[in-house]
Amino acid sequence: MSHYPEVVEKIVQDYLQRVAIQLKRFPNSDQKELLKELGSHIYESYCAESDSEPVDRILEVLRKLGEPADVVAEKLHESLLSLKKLKKVPLSVLGGIVVGMFGLPLGFAGVAILLGGLGAMLGLVAAFFATATLLLVTGVTGMGLGLLRMLNPDLWDHLVAQGFIQFHGRIGQFFDLLSPATQGGILVFLFMAVAAAGLGMLWLSKRLLKGLRFLFDLMLDRAKSLFGRRRRRAFAGDPGWLKTPVSEAPSEEASISSSTSYSPIR
Amino acid sequence: MDYLDAEKERRVTQLRKGILELAIMGSLYRQQHYGYSLVRVLTGDGSLLLKEGTVYPILTRLDKEGLVRSEWVESDQGPPRKYYSLTANGRKIFESLMPEFDQLVSLVKQSRNGAKSRQDQPLGERILVKREEKG
Repeated sequence: MSHYPEVVEKIVQDYLQRVAIQLKRFPNSDQKELLKELGSHIYESYCAESDSEPVDRILEVLRKLGEPADVVAEKLHESLLSLKKLKKVPLSVLGGIVVGMFGLPLGFAGVAILLGGLGAMLGLVAAFFATATLLLVTGVTGMGLGLLRMLNPDLWDHLVAQGFIQFHGRIGQFFDLLSPATQGGILVFLFMAVAAAGLGMLWLSKRLLKGLRFLFDLMLDRAKSLFGRRRRRAFAGDPGWLKTPVSEAPSEEASISSSTSYSPIR
Repeated sequence: MDYLDAEKERRVTQLRKGILELAIMGSLYRQQHYGYSLVRVLTGDGSLLLKEGTVYPILTRLDKEGLVRSEWVESDQGPPRKYYSLTANGRKIFESLMPEFDQLVSLVKQSRNGAKSRQDQPLGERILVKREEKG
């Protein structure tokens, strides 16, 4: 049941629809809840604005409520924050591992393990790309040979006679039973799968590189913050400056007269 | 609107956003509210200008974090209202945040007063102080 005159109802629905469009990326339950709440707010606010024409009243209500994009921007900001929080969990675990390594009593053992880990990681990346490239090249070459077998069997036979192409054992015997067109078709099909595997690996590599870059940045950041914290502790006279109540903080005159004052608030 | 006005408005908006969550918790600390009544409390004396819709995402977040609880209550005047109140955890958090907020306000005030008193110093004295700082 509508609580408004028809034209006002239309304006309200239009506004809520615009909010709904902005909320598309959020879960359904969140969307419904916010829309229901905004609907309730609009009604209360509309009733409170009683000293003007219905259309003017509703427009004033919606002006005060804010543009749909502004309302949702706040929610978007919140969802980004929660994403950031989620990311911090694995970050903390990995950070803990790095810190643990540097905490080993063997001094530089942590650095050595870190470098070893990085080296192993780089080796894995190189092996991954080499395999992907090999699969792709093999697949494309095999498909070419398959097409050759289908389209130019004479040249194929010539290459076999010259020893450039060799099929031994059961595979050779099996292929001898088939017609050249079927042989070519099988080759194209098989090597297409190989090439697809290579392409798939290359496609995955984007994610792999992103993941590795993330890991590397993470380790670098944690190492920086760890050393930064130690350095600040070493140089700052009073590490508890943040906890000093304002009323007890030294006056500006005192800090000026000491001339060598170091303020961490810079 | 010239550059300074725009810049001022941007910063004022940031400041308001920063304290809005605390203001919401403060209002709910005293009594439970539904969205519209909360907005009226926050904007009642005109001291806090805000786009009213921005309150709801904050309330939803506080709800998800377990600092406020909410329930829909049927209204005999129109659509149902969603009432919010602070949870025990929310009250504790608010009580612990208030001294921090007071401290920040004092810090800003003290910094401003300090800067003023230094400006009031004669130029010669200020130069002498600077030299001493360098020396």
